[in-house]
Amino acid sequence: MAPLLELRGIGVPGRSRSRLEDVSLRIEAGERVALLGASGAGKSTLLAVANGMLEPEAGEVLWSGQPPAGSRRRRRRQLARIGTLWQDLRLIEELTVQQNLNAARLALWGWPKALLNLLLPLETAACAAALEQVELDPALLPQPVTALSGGQRQRVALARLLRQDPLLLLADEPVASLDPRLAAELLALLQRQAGAPRALLMSLHRPDLLAGFDRVLGLRQGRLVFDGPVRTLDGAELERLYAAAP
Amino acid sequence: MSPLPRPAPPLLMLVPALVAVPVLLALPALAHGGGWDLIGQFLLAALRPSLDPLVLHSALSGLGVTVVIALLGWALSLGLGLAAGLVSSRTLWHTATGRRWPADLIRRLLALPRSIHELLWGLLLLQVLGLHPEVAVLAIALPFGALVGRVVGDQLDALPTGGLEALRAAGAPAPGALLTALGPPLLPAVISYGGYRLECALRSATLLGVFGLGGLGTDLRLSLQSLQFAELWTGLWLLLAVMLLLETLVRALRQRWGMPDRLGGRAPAVGRRGREIVLGAVLLVPVLLLMAHSLGLEPGLLLHLNPLPDLAGSYRPAELLAMPWPALVGQTLALTLLAGALAVGLAPLTLLLVAPWAAGRALLKLVWALGRLWPPPLTALLLLFVLKPGVVAAALALGFHNLGILGRLLLEAGESASPAQGQALVAAGAGPRLALLYGRFSALARSYLAYGAYRTDVILRETVVVGLVGAAGLGTALLEALSSFAWDQLLALMAVYALLTLVGEDLSDRARQRLLACP
Repeated sequence: MAPLLELRGIGVPGRSRSRLEDVSLRIEAGERVALLGASGAGKSTLLAVANGMLEPEAGEVLWSGQPPAGSRRRRRRQLARIGTLWQDLRLIEELTVQQNLNAARLALWGWPKALLNLLLPLETAACAAALEQVELDPALLPQPVTALSGGQRQRVALARLLRQDPLLLLADEPVASLDPRLAAELLALLQRQAGAPRALLMSLHRPDLLAGFDRVLGLRQGRLVFDGPVRTLDGAELERLYAAAP
Repeated sequence: MSPLPRPAPPLLMLVPALVAVPVLLALPALAHGGGWDLIGQFLLAALRPSLDPLVLHSALSGLGVTVVIALLGWALSLGLGLAAGLVSSRTLWHTATGRRWPADLIRRLLALPRSIHELLWGLLLLQVLGLHPEVAVLAIALPFGALVGRVVGDQLDALPTGGLEALRAAGAPAPGALLTALGPPLLPAVISYGGYRLECALRSATLLGVFGLGGLGTDLRLSLQSLQFAELWTGLWLLLAVMLLLETLVRALRQRWGMPDRLGGRAPAVGRRGREIVLGAVLLVPVLLLMAHSLGLEPGLLLHLNPLPDLAGSYRPAELLAMPWPALVGQTLALTLLAGALAVGLAPLTLLLVAPWAAGRALLKLVWALGRLWPPPLTALLLLFVLKPGVVAAALALGFHNLGILGRLLLEAGESASPAQGQALVAAGAGPRLALLYGRFSALARSYLAYGAYRTDVILRETVVVGLVGAAGLGTALLEALSSFAWDQLLALMAVYALLTLVGEDLSDRARQRLLACP
């Protein structure tokens, strides 16, 4: 089977964001991959290429063996299989939890259903199931997201990702602003959801959170300098990854 | 779960557009089909405006007069408004005298000049002063001044008074303390609002011209009524160029000086470059004086009033009571709500429809710009080529104009709103329209609808300008009373109209507060 994500010789010039240079990698179904690197090493750029929001200047991106689709409709279906957990969550503050969860289905819904979602509670059972998967009470569904605590918001964002039901899960430092206990809980939830046929690629800036990952990618100044199982990443490798620029 | 479904904010933005359905269904019955070829000629002429030097010269000099009237009326309104705002501020009265009630009294008095549309001011002043350029300048300055006064007063009273109290407690005298504590935070809001008023003043000056008070508007109306569409478009394109230039300038200055957005979408980094702002204001004074001179303004004229008409002699109470008051008020309200709903609902709907195409967005921007600058009475006259006179024709004309204003506001606010939520939806495969609806529209919905409530209040005052299509409520009756010198009717109509607009203002204020307070 084709890998869920394959990058071949990706290059992004470093104008408005950190650059990438000749990055190639493959992520197979069932893998939980952590992306390490210092600030500015290109982690966010790599994730933006992986979720289709940034078109690289050089190289090729393949999702499940397919290049970016040409037609608008097929492209949207392709994007629907790639889910991103954003660092700033990007919940829609003016809507309820249920409307936010259903917003993840917009790629597959037509206009009538998308409008109806703004009026009536739709697909309540599926939304409740998504909340239960992240250990939240389904009673939260009719609440506005502004009424939630910080930890609940993180979980709702994760539940929205599950509601989208993507194959490839991407996460951009989702635990950066969390206290250690919440961070560990969220990581565990995310890793639990990432078994085959799914895969997870998550950027981290703290190497102490690597428990539960199978594989580590190390970025340094836009280049992929490490790719291997977690246990092979020793102190010397880490030091090299985080060393100041020469 | 609540028993009745409540539309989420982004859906609420689109709900008013539903009135378009009955309007479209009613149109075939209202059309008389006589003038479609005229409409066609009018639209075609847009591509072939007259370039005759004589026409160009006449349009340019008319445009010059309109611009000067707008600038002078605007500058005068800012002066009047600042003064009115200061004397109607509760904080100010409280600091200076320890009392608040004089502020409330002055506020109520200011509501009256505000409730009368600048066109009515113009037509009334015309009776008292005769046909002079001062009439148009004052007609803009008086109601605008009262509006600016309200905004300044509200802003002043909404400022936190902690700094002021600290200064007073330390023994600073009232004027110094007020200036130090409230001046700097007040300035950005006033300048930002002032810039917006300048755009309004240009539209009003054009409108006053349509009713014969000088400038390009007069030419536009004459060209339209004599079916000289090519000449009409010469003036229109010139006016469009000036308006877009002005809007761009105001917007650039607002950004450069760090002034708040009109919808207040983003917390402003207020008040940069204070020296530049002061310098600009100082430079403006000689320019304005020069302009006043070029227009031949004579302030002394204001002392020579025409004798007032004999009100007592024309007083016929039986006829006044016999006027169809319920129908007049009903038509005015129907016209207001119809035009308001069309404008408020169609702006987001059309923006959604063209969202995927850059060319469509550019075309929409152009149509909206034309709607803004094109005076509603001229749209109404144009519509009468194919529609029967009445509330629907008048509402379409007013709705189109206000759609232009609301649409631009929505577009600007949308550009400054955070794109993050919409991008997240696109990344998950949502189309550009749904990403816009769920993303930016969600963030903007409440402040947009609150502005729509305010706009509907403005439309109520504006109904008089489309009165000339006939059978359009109080506006029609007012214009008829004016042209037949029925002074008693005119006074009674104006009183009812003013009362209606005061109630409307109150209702729109409440709607706005509810929309903005809701979690």
